[in-house]
Amino acid sequence: MSDLAIQLNNVSKRFGPKVAVNAVSLQVRQGDVFGLIGPNGAGKTTTFSMMCGYLYPSEGSLQVMGVSPTAPGALKGRVGALPQDAVLPPGWEVGALLMYWARLSDLPQPEHEARGALEKVGLMEAWKVQTQALSHGMAKRAAMAQALMGRPPLVLLDEPTAGLDPRIAAQVRQVIKDMRGTQTVVVSSHNLQELEELCDAAAILDKGSLAQAGTMSELTGQGAEFRVQLARGDVIIPEITSLPGVTDARMEGTDVLRVRFDGQAHKAEEVISRTVAHLLQHQVLILGVSRGRRLEDRVLQLL
Amino acid sequence: MDGLKEILVIWAAELRRAVRSGRAIVLLGLYSMFSALVLLVVGFVTRELQSQLNAGLPGSTMDPDMAAQAADQMHRGVLGFLTSNDSAMMEALAHVPIVVLIVYKITLFFLPAYIALMGFDQVSGEVGPRSMRYLTVRARRSSVLLGKFLSQATLLVGLVLIIDLAIFIYARILNADFAFGVLVLNLLKFWSATIVFSLAYVALTSFCSSLFRNPAVSLVFNFILLFVFWLMDSVGQAVSEQNVLRYLRYLSPSHYSGNLLHPKLAEFATSGAAYAAFAAVFLFGAYGVLRARDL
Repeated sequence: MSDLAIQLNNVSKRFGPKVAVNAVSLQVRQGDVFGLIGPNGAGKTTTFSMMCGYLYPSEGSLQVMGVSPTAPGALKGRVGALPQDAVLPPGWEVGALLMYWARLSDLPQPEHEARGALEKVGLMEAWKVQTQALSHGMAKRAAMAQALMGRPPLVLLDEPTAGLDPRIAAQVRQVIKDMRGTQTVVVSSHNLQELEELCDAAAILDKGSLAQAGTMSELTGQGAEFRVQLARGDVIIPEITSLPGVTDARMEGTDVLRVRFDGQAHKAEEVISRTVAHLLQHQVLILGVSRGRRLEDRVLQLL
Repeated sequence: MDGLKEILVIWAAELRRAVRSGRAIVLLGLYSMFSALVLLVVGFVTRELQSQLNAGLPGSTMDPDMAAQAADQMHRGVLGFLTSNDSAMMEALAHVPIVVLIVYKITLFFLPAYIALMGFDQVSGEVGPRSMRYLTVRARRSSVLLGKFLSQATLLVGLVLIIDLAIFIYARILNADFAFGVLVLNLLKFWSATIVFSLAYVALTSFCSSLFRNPAVSLVFNFILLFVFWLMDSVGQAVSEQNVLRYLRYLSPSHYSGNLLHPKLAEFATSGAAYAAFAAVFLFGAYGVLRARDL
């Protein structure tokens, strides 16, 4: 079996004349936490919805856990999904609803699964509460719980922490971290700091097209770039550039030195140490060193 | 097998939700209010006519035997009108109080609208707010549709039984000669006929509900289709036998309701098959729409 959990080949989705997703190709490896990044209208939720089989692609093909997500019953037991803006059906107590869905997923112990999932998202007190009486945050967590029931091999989460208070959001992030390695997780979010913390890899979408995809290290340039925050002193750029492994060095403003290096041939720690040593030798005082750049900076640069 | 299990799980869950919700009570109340109204009006008119016949017409000297004969003739006249003068049906229904037959006929006219009110949001009510998305990662769309259809049908079977039972008990109270054995037999016949008739309309409601995201639009479209079917049947019956428009009536489900109480199996089976065919067409249509649509 392929080690890919999801594979999109030239997938497009049109709504009338509007192209929501345009020829996107990307792959998600099994066991990864994968982020879908992009501004509003970038096509994240549309791409997510095609992965879940909610939407049919206009062109191209998708494989999710080795099957087409639109084939009848194909995702049963393989995928747990938290769709964005999907309302929990009214007239149900949360516990009864989760048990119903667990039964529908063919899980052997529906009540045990439902209780376990609610416990994971810290919502046990809502077991007997009617779905229409839940607050936004509680409804979000109940929806998250249904995606976790049965530990499906692939979990798709669209904006899992949107609208949650910081404590609960941290709890949800921990749940996602706990799944890393044993389950594949796709997270769509606006919160780049969160995605940088959670994800092994990500795809950046803009206006329906794929701007860039890769591992988080590739996206943030952690293996090929670092910055030195300077307190005082003069940096001699040509000398830094001539250090072994360094491919480029330049000042960003007056007090940040950005250095790019050949991450394939040289270890990051060696290049960073050589550069810092050189700076100290020339009486340059240093406040700090950071590898790569923030995901947010990378996204802002791309979009 | 997996699909069948999904259908059963959805059917049981939806039915439990419907029964526990206030909606089932409201629907039962609506149905019984309507039936009671018809029953009271028809009962009143029947009693008035009967008492006038029993008392004899003013100024006339009608003896009791003649009055009974006149009442019997009136009964046969109304029965003939309700059964299109089909002698087999008239004979089979001779012992059923007229009030029951009239309520049955009027109920069949309004039942499709009631069914539309009952289930117009079964699919659209889940597609619009996207709660359908929670189901389709766990079950086939066909299972979702059939599970919901069956829960609506089961609810209707229960409601119709309750109302039919109430009508027959009322008729038994009014007519002491309406024997218990005849009552039970005819209750089962009327109930079965109503169910066969209704399933096609439950399927039609599923179809209309699958077409739109907005439940209100589903309901309006459902009513429009009911009106179109009624129009097709009416036009088809009104035009001459040479007019090509007469075939329109065969495309309307209500055209086949006449023989649902027929004592001959062939006649009943033809009507039943027509309703089964309509139900199948509407359900396949609903599945086709739901299968092809984005959720």
